[in-house]
Amino acid sequence: MDLKTTLPKTKPHTTGISAVKRRRLSQLGQEYLTGYMFILPALIYMLLLIGYPIVYNIVLSFQDVSAFNLAAGGQRPFIGLQNYKTVFADETMKSAIWNTFYYTVSCLVVQFSLGLMFALLFHQKFALAKPLRGFLVISWMMPVTVTALLFKYMLSPDVGIIDIFLKALGIINQPVGWIINQSTAIYGPIIANSWVGVPFNMLILTTGLAGIPDEVYESSSIDGASSFQKFLHITLPLLRPAMMAVLVLGFVYTFKVFDLIFVMTGGGPVNATEVFATFAYKLSFRFYYFGQGAAVANILFIILFCVALVYLRLINKEETM
Amino acid sequence: MMNILRKQRAKSILMSIFALAVSFIFLFPLYWIFTSSLKGDAEIFRKPPTLFPHQIFTDGYFGQLTGKHSVLISAKNSLTIAISSMAISFFLAVPAAYGISRFKVPGGKSLIMTFLVTQMLPASLILTPLFLTFSKLKLLNTYLAPILAVTTITIPFTLLVLRPMFMACPAEIEESARIDGCNRFTAFLRVVLPIIKPGLVTVCCFGFVHGWNDLVYSLTFNTNNALFPMTTAIYNLMNEYGIRWNWIMAYGCMLVTPPIVIFVTAQKYVISGMVGGAVKG
Repeated sequence: MDLKTTLPKTKPHTTGISAVKRRRLSQLGQEYLTGYMFILPALIYMLLLIGYPIVYNIVLSFQDVSAFNLAAGGQRPFIGLQNYKTVFADETMKSAIWNTFYYTVSCLVVQFSLGLMFALLFHQKFALAKPLRGFLVISWMMPVTVTALLFKYMLSPDVGIIDIFLKALGIINQPVGWIINQSTAIYGPIIANSWVGVPFNMLILTTGLAGIPDEVYESSSIDGASSFQKFLHITLPLLRPAMMAVLVLGFVYTFKVFDLIFVMTGGGPVNATEVFATFAYKLSFRFYYFGQGAAVANILFIILFCVALVYLRLINKEETM
Repeated sequence: MMNILRKQRAKSILMSIFALAVSFIFLFPLYWIFTSSLKGDAEIFRKPPTLFPHQIFTDGYFGQLTGKHSVLISAKNSLTIAISSMAISFFLAVPAAYGISRFKVPGGKSLIMTFLVTQMLPASLILTPLFLTFSKLKLLNTYLAPILAVTTITIPFTLLVLRPMFMACPAEIEESARIDGCNRFTAFLRVVLPIIKPGLVTVCCFGFVHGWNDLVYSLTFNTNNALFPMTTAIYNLMNEYGIRWNWIMAYGCMLVTPPIVIFVTAQKYVISGMVGGAVKG
């Protein structure tokens, strides 16, 4: 009797624990399930439109695929590294490598240094600071196609306002010609890109500056720090995350440049402004050597991917700190 | 004391002047595109150039409204691409951003990292494979080809901008909504979405502008004139017009109007999108 009454009592008790556990587990499963219901549509969509093309592009770069053999029945023989060998043997590729790096580094130097200077200026408290700062980034929203045409016009040798202005100032004697000369052509896209990049860098850096608490500056003033010391020992270190963001993202966005150069110069004159993206485009869609175009695009991808990985590691480190 | 105040005011005036000079240089190209678009064929070549049109010509605008290359046809195409890509990325990425930030799903962190990297990818990378795939699926020379391609930029962007906003949205509000009889989905629709409305405005602005500004996808996937958006159309007209800069600038003015109107009317949202998209992604 005693045993009978205790047994049923303990039995539901033990199963009760596992039932709670089970419920908690199934709740967790439910949580995962609902979470994935929200995420999955976008994830599948992106896998099809980004994941699949990336893999396809890698495969393509090892195959002999062109409009000719596609038309002849779709034979796509694997040819190993032949596409890479062919593009690296091409003189245009050498120009593309040099131009892409030259363009990217020049743009970064200009937009970062001017952007930082303007950020420090517009961070000061004066009446026009906020409205002007907000309005300057308008160029970021414009279609790059228009920016390219606008600067093509402003840099043109006969009616370009920039040459006329420089001449009026006595800096030059005759039109520079900018994008029609092989030696100066690359500066056209650099100038146009800076028009967009400088205000954008300024915006991100002012946001970073706004995040530095005033107390830090005040207490260092009490300690007798000069403005320059404050800049060197407070502003620069505390601005580091914002500076890293603009430099790394700036690198990525300028390195993959396509529209601006394609519309402004089309990669010319000769190969003076050819970059990775325009070269890949030409190989694929002007000469229909899809395999070679894929190979050039892959090289561009690998370089950007390495930079992105370094960036991700850096922000991860910063987050854990 | 007076001395310090005066010094401060002098400093403030000096900085204002410097800031105005900087702004003048950076806003001048916008002024130039507009003035040039209103100049006549003779005035556009005058030396030295006139700072504002002596005689206003609107031929550059009205002359391009009709005919085979009518701006109106291209504007309709641009709108179709911009609105569709905005809608697709909105309906896919807003729930995904919520799912990633609210539920502790396994692999969530690496998903975010993947989207971060995706946003950095060059268009050139997917151009050739998408072209070959779309060609097989008979999608070339349709609106769908550029629309699908553009969403590969807007979806990661939307996700990265909205995720911190969803995370900042307190879970208690949702819980109390569920006690009041909402389920996960209705709580998301009726309680959470209204709270992050500013974020939704931001992603809609960018979703539209990314689609409107696209050149490379339409250029590559569509060779049919009738489907050209304004960006592709102006690129093709560039060779036809040669140095008729007033016409090209007039076309450019019409092309930049929607993004600029969006920028001016929703400046706060646009800027928060630029900062959010850049610092986190």
